[in-house]
Amino acid sequence: MKYVIIGAGVAGVEAAKAIRKQDPAGEILMVSVDTHVHSRCMLHKYIAGERTEKGLDFTENDFFSKYKVQWRNGVRVEKIQPDQKQILLDTKEAVSYDKLLIAAGADSFIPPVGELRKASNVYGLRNLSDAQAIVKEAKQAQNILVIGSGLVGLDAAYGLLERGKRLTVVEMADRILPVQLDAHAANAYQEAFEKAGVRFVLERKASQALCESDKKIRQVVLDNGEAIACDLIIVAAGVRPSLAFLDSSGIVCDRGITVDASMKTSVDDIYAAGDITGLSGIWPNAADQGRIAGKNMCGQKVDYTDTYAMKNTINFFGLVTLCVGRIREEEGDEIRIREDRSQYKRVILRDGKVQGILLQGNIANAGHWQYLIKNQIDISKINKDIFSISYADFYQTGAKGKYEWNIN
Amino acid sequence: MKRIIIEYDKCDGCKNCSAACMQAHRKTKGTIYDLDLTDPENESRNFILKDEKGQYRPLFCRHCDDPECVKSCMSGALYKDPESGHVLYQENRCGSCFMCVMNCPFGVPKPDTVTKSKIIKCDFCADAGGEPSCVKACPKKAIRVEEV
Amino acid sequence: MNQCYGCNTCKSADKPLEGYIASLPMETSHHRVESQSTKCAFGLQGVCCRLCANGPCRITPESPRGICGANADTIVTRNLLRAVASGSGCYIHVVENTARNVKNVAKTGGEIKGINTLNRLASLFGIEEEDLHKRAEAVADAVLRDLYLPEYEKMELTEKLSYAPRYKKWKELGILPGGAKSEVFHGVVKCSTNLNSDPVNMLLDCLKLGISTGIHGLVLTNLLNDIVLGEPKIRFAPVGLRVIDPDYINIMITGHQHSMFTFLQDRLIDEDIKEKAKKAGAKGFKLVGCTCVGQDLQLRGAHYTEIFDGHAGNNYTSEAILATGGIDAVISEFNCTLPGIEPICDKLKIKQICIDNVAKKANAQLKEFDFENRPAVTDEIIDEIIAAYQERRGSVSLNLMPDHGNDNTLTGVSEISLKKFLGGSWQPLIDLITSGDIKGVAGVVGCSNLTAGGHDVLTVDLVKELIARDIIVLTAGCSSGGIENCGLMTPEAAKYAGPKLRAICEKLGIPPVLNFGPCLAIGRLEIVATELAEALKVDLPELPLVLSAAQWLEEQALADGCYGLALGLPLHLGLPPFVTGSKVAIQVLTEDMKSLTGGQVIINGNARESADILEQIILEKRQGLQI
Repeated sequence: MKYVIIGAGVAGVEAAKAIRKQDPAGEILMVSVDTHVHSRCMLHKYIAGERTEKGLDFTENDFFSKYKVQWRNGVRVEKIQPDQKQILLDTKEAVSYDKLLIAAGADSFIPPVGELRKASNVYGLRNLSDAQAIVKEAKQAQNILVIGSGLVGLDAAYGLLERGKRLTVVEMADRILPVQLDAHAANAYQEAFEKAGVRFVLERKASQALCESDKKIRQVVLDNGEAIACDLIIVAAGVRPSLAFLDSSGIVCDRGITVDASMKTSVDDIYAAGDITGLSGIWPNAADQGRIAGKNMCGQKVDYTDTYAMKNTINFFGLVTLCVGRIREEEGDEIRIREDRSQYKRVILRDGKVQGILLQGNIANAGHWQYLIKNQIDISKINKDIFSISYADFYQTGAKGKYEWNIN
Repeated sequence: MKRIIIEYDKCDGCKNCSAACMQAHRKTKGTIYDLDLTDPENESRNFILKDEKGQYRPLFCRHCDDPECVKSCMSGALYKDPESGHVLYQENRCGSCFMCVMNCPFGVPKPDTVTKSKIIKCDFCADAGGEPSCVKACPKKAIRVEEV
Repeated sequence: MNQCYGCNTCKSADKPLEGYIASLPMETSHHRVESQSTKCAFGLQGVCCRLCANGPCRITPESPRGICGANADTIVTRNLLRAVASGSGCYIHVVENTARNVKNVAKTGGEIKGINTLNRLASLFGIEEEDLHKRAEAVADAVLRDLYLPEYEKMELTEKLSYAPRYKKWKELGILPGGAKSEVFHGVVKCSTNLNSDPVNMLLDCLKLGISTGIHGLVLTNLLNDIVLGEPKIRFAPVGLRVIDPDYINIMITGHQHSMFTFLQDRLIDEDIKEKAKKAGAKGFKLVGCTCVGQDLQLRGAHYTEIFDGHAGNNYTSEAILATGGIDAVISEFNCTLPGIEPICDKLKIKQICIDNVAKKANAQLKEFDFENRPAVTDEIIDEIIAAYQERRGSVSLNLMPDHGNDNTLTGVSEISLKKFLGGSWQPLIDLITSGDIKGVAGVVGCSNLTAGGHDVLTVDLVKELIARDIIVLTAGCSSGGIENCGLMTPEAAKYAGPKLRAICEKLGIPPVLNFGPCLAIGRLEIVATELAEALKVDLPELPLVLSAAQWLEEQALADGCYGLALGLPLHLGLPPFVTGSKVAIQVLTEDMKSLTGGQVIINGNARESADILEQIILEKRQGLQI
């Protein structure tokens, strides 16, 4: 049996491990553009100079030899040909497969504003290659503009702060981290970044950005007419699944590759996992999808069920935040807030069930919130301050001393 | 693998397990007498929680069979040791993202109080010969080590 | 399987005793050490506060203050002051009873055995009373008057009994005590809920309680007892379980108040009582010494050779003494009477009688000592004991240990008898210290506990280390009981001493460890120290003299220790007195004390390390004296 995995991100790596566990003898080939296995969540540490390429590797030592995985890196897949059960590489080689996993991830989305897509000094921050290019470019740059203040935008800003650059972040929404945080929690980060020298321009978007003769954009004009000088632009406006090479494959795609519960695509023997499916953009879920795809590729029937993806942790300047579930208030919600010198907590309750939690400053022993939210556990009977509720209130030990949830 | 089995109805909440844990993981050498109980660097990896009725609910890392913390670790810092079965942590690899804190449904790992740059989590007293100090310190024998 | 109750007993310095206890079919404290080995860290560090309904509060990184706001320093020093006040109360209770006894003996024209001491005190107190008994009564009254003064009136005898440079220092520090009983009251008020929160202020109160404990509780108790019980005389005596002679009706005595036993002691050797014993099948009565009151009898043993055979053992040897089956009754009047002897007494049908209700044991009969009615009460007690003897002998098997201990432990050492031994002056000792033949003096005092290495383990190891360094050791308290049973107070023990000390011991035929008797006799050690300082014309902290309560056990020991610190002496403790949770307490006790009184606390549980530290201090003090 020959398994081919496109992509060396966490979905691909976890799939390979799962396959190897099921099938000790099968041939596993991993094909990736990436030349280093790396954790995208740590690219800012590379930008900041805290870690080398190798330091971004999230796999165990000797991963490829230990799991007997062949790795073709630095190559791009140009086509998938399900009829011939093969893929075509940009080296013009054809590689056959029995089972194929597409875990090629996503690409940064550069909005069609001015000449952003054309310019040579505009980067997304998605891959190590992006980070490497940014570091190189940043050496000369003094003024850096970050478009978008989501986690990726702030990661970029955080990394570049370490290099002592003048940074401006432009955000369309009325606050930074608008998907993850409410205004209050967002403000705490904004203040921390501002204290470190970052300038934020909120509720604005770029409207004009023209290249000079050297293909570099040196000024971006916002929708209020303000012109921001820049010699490096980082666009953090989201990602889009990397679907371009699938055009002729017959694999059904919507926002991403469409998969069933077993992570199989519309085409037999072809599976997909990770960001390319568009199911969620977070690490644990991509890892889980990879593992489940891998098992199914080996004939083990397992469904991807723990699809909950509305969860994030944030850590800038040692200010930690945990947010799970819905953050935006809706009519009929009951909001409870607790705040002190060192922490801010906000919970959204509805019919005795937690819809969303936001904890900033202190996130110790807070793992139970995700369970309560995703399983919609009724907590109205627990006669306790809501912020004091913990796993203790559902505490039960079972076989082999495992913790269980006592819910009634 | 070995796991700490908890007979929670025996727990008296004395927190001796916590003090023993702090002592086992302190940076400086010394005895329990000179352990600085006010220094947040000496924080415990186990916790005595209470339920709504005030009953003690000792929280000790299960070193789960299928650990959510490991599955959510984006740096490779957390791993399940194939030999001991314990969930171990390599501080130098940690990216301080704290997804493990969010994903452990029982709330065991926590960011360190002082620097918020690493997690505080049970290592089964690997440096002390793998004999957990908390177990030795429990006057009620509410916790014990068992092969599971 | 055998009949042993449990084989997990703790270690003892006394190896035969360790084996004996391990083989017993009943539980002793030595069996319980293991199951109590998990100690609460908060308790150990003294940072658990139970002073109010919000508690217990404990100090952790997440909770550096109790609910009320008390931090570790406040909690620790409050707990310490509470312990010192209690400990002081114990000794003040003892001196109060002792003074009342002297007064009663004097009023009833009883025997005055220590005329020299009486005259010494009368002259110190400025009492010019011709009549012997009136003089004794006046001395007792002077002591009682001091004890009952309010806290705001300074005690009068403090200055008369203390070394002038010390008195001056205490006055400077504002720690001269008011009435000793009122000081205990003041101390417990001070550390109650939401009162004092100033750690240094409370530590100074500990010193003040140390002074009232030391001068009244310790020094005066000894001297008052010398008046009516007789002055110590140096001699050799048997010690250990060997002293139990099963042919007699044996009464084990425990406590600290020798004066309560004197009437009984005398009565037991009256012919009519001996006749009663013989009728019951025994040769007569014997008192078997245990704990400090046993040490006190041994110390004055020259006066009581018929009724008292010797000291069997200290606090944690008491269970073994009972387990021999040779004891028919226990008469207790104070600590250290362990609650754990009760089931053993039940099992072996040993009658328990208490003669002071502060130490009433759960299954003991309370027969309070009553001076007026003592003939009747004493006879009642004797009848009870004879009944117990008849009931149990024959049905309870004996498990004696006739080889335990030794026959030639040097005893009867006091500030008077030692000086007399030296030819009536301290000069020979001073010369030996000056020449370096004796490097220095260490008072190894206090109790035995079971946690500093085991029963008497640290004490005995430390003593061996000290004498090997040519440091002569003077002892008082239960530490003496352990050290003597291990043979270190026999002349043969000279071989454990360093070459210089050994030569002196062999020349004089004395051991390198001199036993002053009960813990109360710490007061005698300190008289020796004071007289040495006087002779050298220096203050106490300058002497090459150290104290160690290596295995301190109880609150009384802490009050004693505070006296040592007030005197300006270095005080070694094997285990910290539940204070290490407070940086302020540690700083004051181990460092700042040097500039306050000249004293310092040294905490170390390792015998060799401790001896190294103490030797170093002695060497520094020698250097200071340029000797």
